Amino acid sequence: MTNHWIDLANSDCILIMGSNAAENHPISFRWVLKAQDNGATVIHVDPRFTRTSTKADIYAPLRSGTDIAFLGGMIKYILENDKFFTSYVVNYTNGPYIVGEKYSFKDGLFSGFNSEKKSYDSSTWAFELDDQGIPKKDLTLQDPRCVFQLLKTHYSRYDLDIVSSVTGTPKDDLLKVYLAYSATGVSDKAGTIMYAMGWCQHTVGVQNIRAMSIIQLLLGNMGIAGGGVNALRGESNVQGSTDAGLLFHILPGYLPSPTASLATLADYNKKNTPTSKDPLSANWWQNRPKYMVSLLKALYGDAAKKENDFCYSWLPKGDEGKSYSWLDLFDAMYSKQLKGFFAWGMNPACSGANANKTREAFANLDWMVNVNVFDNETASFWRGPGMNPKQIKTEVFFLPCAAFLEKEGSISNSGRWAQWRYKAQEPLGDSKPDGDIIYELFKEIRDLYKKDKKAKFADPILNLKWDYATNNKFDAHLAAKAINGYWLEDKTIGDKTYKKGELVPAFAMLQDDGSTSSGTWIYCQSYNQDGNNMARRDKSDSSGIGLYPKWSWAWPVNRRIIYNRASVDPTGKPWNPKKPVIEYVGEVKDGKYASGSWKGDVPDGPWPHLQNPDGSPRADGKLAFIMRSDGYGALFGPGLKDGPFPEHYEPLECPVEKNSFGLQLNNPIAAIIKSERDVIKTCDPRYPFVGTTYRVTEHWQTGVLTRNLPWLIEAEPQLFVEISEQLAEIRNIKNGEKVIVESARGMLEAVAIVTKRFRPFTIQGTEIHQVGLPWHYGWIFPPEGGDSANLLTPSVGDPNTRIPESKAFMVNVRKKGA
Amino acid sequence: MAGKSIFIDTTRCTACRGCQIACKNWNRNGASATRNTGSHQNPPDLDGNTFKVVRFSEVETDGKVCWYFFPDQCRHCLEPPCKDAAEGYVPNSVIQDKATGAVVYTEKMKEAPFDEVKSSCPYNIPRLNGMAQPVKCTMCIDRISNGLKPACVRTCPTSAMNFGERDEILQMARERLAAIKEKYPKAQLLDADQVRVIYLVTDDPVKYHKNAVASVTPAIGQGQPGRFAGPIKRILGNVLGV
Amino acid sequence: MKLTRRSFLKVSSAASAGLALNGLGLDLSSVRAYAWELRTSEAKETPTICCYCAVGCGILCHTDKKTGKIIYTEGDADHPINNGTLCAKGASAYQIAQNEKRATNVLYRAPNSDKWQVKKWDWALKEIAKRVKKTRDAGFAAGNEQGQIVNRCNDIASVGSAALDNEECWLYQAMLRSLGIVYIEHQARI
Repeated sequence: MTNHWIDLANSDCILIMGSNAAENHPISFRWVLKAQDNGATVIHVDPRFTRTSTKADIYAPLRSGTDIAFLGGMIKYILENDKFFTSYVVNYTNGPYIVGEKYSFKDGLFSGFNSEKKSYDSSTWAFELDDQGIPKKDLTLQDPRCVFQLLKTHYSRYDLDIVSSVTGTPKDDLLKVYLAYSATGVSDKAGTIMYAMGWCQHTVGVQNIRAMSIIQLLLGNMGIAGGGVNALRGESNVQGSTDAGLLFHILPGYLPSPTASLATLADYNKKNTPTSKDPLSANWWQNRPKYMVSLLKALYGDAAKKENDFCYSWLPKGDEGKSYSWLDLFDAMYSKQLKGFFAWGMNPACSGANANKTREAFANLDWMVNVNVFDNETASFWRGPGMNPKQIKTEVFFLPCAAFLEKEGSISNSGRWAQWRYKAQEPLGDSKPDGDIIYELFKEIRDLYKKDKKAKFADPILNLKWDYATNNKFDAHLAAKAINGYWLEDKTIGDKTYKKGELVPAFAMLQDDGSTSSGTWIYCQSYNQDGNNMARRDKSDSSGIGLYPKWSWAWPVNRRIIYNRASVDPTGKPWNPKKPVIEYVGEVKDGKYASGSWKGDVPDGPWPHLQNPDGSPRADGKLAFIMRSDGYGALFGPGLKDGPFPEHYEPLECPVEKNSFGLQLNNPIAAIIKSERDVIKTCDPRYPFVGTTYRVTEHWQTGVLTRNLPWLIEAEPQLFVEISEQLAEIRNIKNGEKVIVESARGMLEAVAIVTKRFRPFTIQGTEIHQVGLPWHYGWIFPPEGGDSANLLTPSVGDPNTRIPESKAFMVNVRKKGA
Repeated sequence: MAGKSIFIDTTRCTACRGCQIACKNWNRNGASATRNTGSHQNPPDLDGNTFKVVRFSEVETDGKVCWYFFPDQCRHCLEPPCKDAAEGYVPNSVIQDKATGAVVYTEKMKEAPFDEVKSSCPYNIPRLNGMAQPVKCTMCIDRISNGLKPACVRTCPTSAMNFGERDEILQMARERLAAIKEKYPKAQLLDADQVRVIYLVTDDPVKYHKNAVASVTPAIGQGQPGRFAGPIKRILGNVLGV
Repeated sequence: MKLTRRSFLKVSSAASAGLALNGLGLDLSSVRAYAWELRTSEAKETPTICCYCAVGCGILCHTDKKTGKIIYTEGDADHPINNGTLCAKGASAYQIAQNEKRATNVLYRAPNSDKWQVKKWDWALKEIAKRVKKTRDAGFAAGNEQGQIVNRCNDIASVGSAALDNEECWLYQAMLRSLGIVYIEHQARI
């Protein structure tokens, strides 16, 4: 989240889309309803009327996979009805930028499309630069080639009739939503978006979110209290695990993973360190080399020296252009390319798209290690339905791990709050905290490498810093400190001297000369000389907007609302003085700040803002969006693989033959895994209904925990499929009857819930039905509970993230025996 | 009037089932093997292990879908018919706590004829547990006597559940009713003058749950609806289907 | 029938312990106030953060000082986000702490076997280490097809986990990368 959970209460209009927040982030509704008590409008857009919809002021139905159509219509509405916040757009976004003449969009494709390689050459989307190398601008937003006008042109096709025909949302509902939400485009109103997997799990997932970012920038909602783009993450520490770089493409702190062509650290820094010619741009990622070196020192300690590139070559490198993401990983496993596998606190047998393929793939492994709190469908895959153990050679090690209340450490919530938590009981039986297991396992591995003098490339293993134990037991405090970072030598900066062995105060001090270490630079300050800031429980808060700055610690540097530099006008005064996030306050002489500082939240950088009170520019000011190399929020986004503007494309399995917005039916560069086990069937009469997957409050993810808790499985005991009354009549299905749900990839038995809360959509004049299932179940327990909805989902993904399209695919629902 | 009350504002309930589970947690109740019979409501009813159950009801009005949630529990009546019914047989089998007004069954309830006790309740609350003991919500008498809120109230994230002194709670309920009356002309408080657990609904109570309000009996219209002196209630209970 | 003190004190509930009443007097209707015992009054309180959805609600665990077992969990009233409230999942945390189905043994499934065997940690970690080394060394690629230095372990993959603490996640990725593994994924991707 750019903001945080409590901040929702500051909003005037909360759009919940791609999310069913009341069911899946229930406590968020404490704050949503508080906003509503204060007069906020709550909008829920969802294919199905859910528990969230019951509390919404406006509910609008929409067919799964058509969010860009819906949002594109809103962009058109905002632009045509002058609802945008002009000063914000001109000063803080790239709306005024002039786009180069090579850029075009025609017939559903952007310029630079290579149909053979199935990729875009994004150089055709480049901006026109002046002779300083800075993009040319038209601050009047009139130039036909300025981003603002191109935006208008792009979404001119998204008129109400077409949007309604594609999304299935009645025009009245579209207008209600557009009117209510666009009202936040004024300086004293804030609109926020709460989104989740409903936007991510599509072949246009990233562009869904881009569309909303455009809306938020147009309306001036980024960086303000009650605004922002709020991703509701799904696991207690998926924020932290992402921050820690547990993904193939990133190292801790969102440093890109090095790829094979980047042979040296200098190559890496050159490729990955953005430069800016604009002195007003903070371009914070220019500090990348400091974070990379500090990480290498955290990993390899004294072995990492300037002379050996700080052991940069010890990091493994992926091949250029090759993806090692989830879908690719399981494809490699299925194709017998993988021999060993760790499923650590995960249950891919139920959680991955096209799960039948995953389950079969396990049998190709030599060995698997599964760490979990309960037995699950992955650990026990060899005794699952359709499996013959006698023919499965895979060795499986199941390691019992401690539950969350049996260990100490920190986790980071969606609002970036890293919260320290404590141990309340000893782990049950032989179970151990994961930290202990990891710590001890690596020691065993290293011992083997120590003994084998001829072992292959053992240096990184032998030299990995691994001093995270106290009395031979894993000590989370030592790890947390290493993540924060240490001074490795005495260093004087300004008038302060830091001593070797002290903890680095904050990441502004991290160095690229090897004098600092930091496991994850954005966590620098989390555990420093002041103590364990993540463990703070001080509720004092004078912000007036519920920041709680002394409760735990948020990255970065305890900034609670990020991009807050955009919450003030160019002179540093809050757009909305009633809910200020930061404010520049100073001594003014002759209309200019003679001195000053920021009050409120931790500002996005300590520098003054762009203008003096008299409107004269300040040379020492900085642009609002400090993490972007040019300093501006991107309406036009050249950094994404599938286009600078979001465009509606149908899901890879869809119920229509034509895209109403253009000739290109699907995302032309969607990630598609191809094996005989990856089948897509679109517009196929055997699978006539739109299928989606979702969750319920009472269960969580694959249900490994929750299916084993009696109070929860009692509340939601079995896999169900929700279908409309109209569909039930067509298929002669009664409420509570067991039915078959099938896709091109798999088949499930589920209890039919016949409901008024799903209604057929009218799409391009045709009645289209949608159904949905939760994916919380698995064959292991309970008996009759049902199996995972991911047996149905397709292994196609977003081209940027490669997240599978679990939210929109085609299915059939029929009576058992029909 | 002295004692405590609970105000349940269904307009704020998201059916998160926190209350259903928190109640089981505090009371150390178990769970039963349930089936999905075409509803999210599970267990389907109050039972010996379930003193609080969230009821789900889909309703369509003028083409508009509504989904009503009713976190059902004992009302802790001011004049509990179950107490009258039981104590006709077994004195002191029901505690009506003087300080809080909580209606609490003791072990001695086991000796009273359960069918009569059950059918005396206008809200269909009393159940038998696995040891043939009549059970129901206790208003967490141990918690509230120690300055804590009932577990269900404490766990409710949206302030759908509220607890406090009866006068304050009644005022809260009336103010809330007034605040939503324009948007929901059919909004009403249920049996507010007769019970300590007061529900606010926005539509006909029967659309939420058939026992949301004490049933009115046309045959005998005297006195307060659904309330009878002990002996008469015992005789007529079954006839009225209460 | 004379009420014994025991029957007077016990109040009906599904649990065997029921509500405990420390009162005096035998006539229930006339006693004005009871001293009801709170079953958590002697417990040690430990704050933690919920393991589910990423709102990050505070949960307070009550641990019996004698047995060291968690006897109750509830929302942490001090936590600014949830203020002591919890949804169904958070409210059920107690059933993770005390649950007969919890995995409490190291298990091993041999090739072609249809059953688990109970093992010891020491054995398991050593055996896993052997396999990691064997698999890594057999398939280790110093260079790729283009002749670039990659120092990569191609044959081992890892998924997991958003359920690990920050400190555990960091250690885990450090371990995986030191082994040269690039197939590193977890819940964030799906």
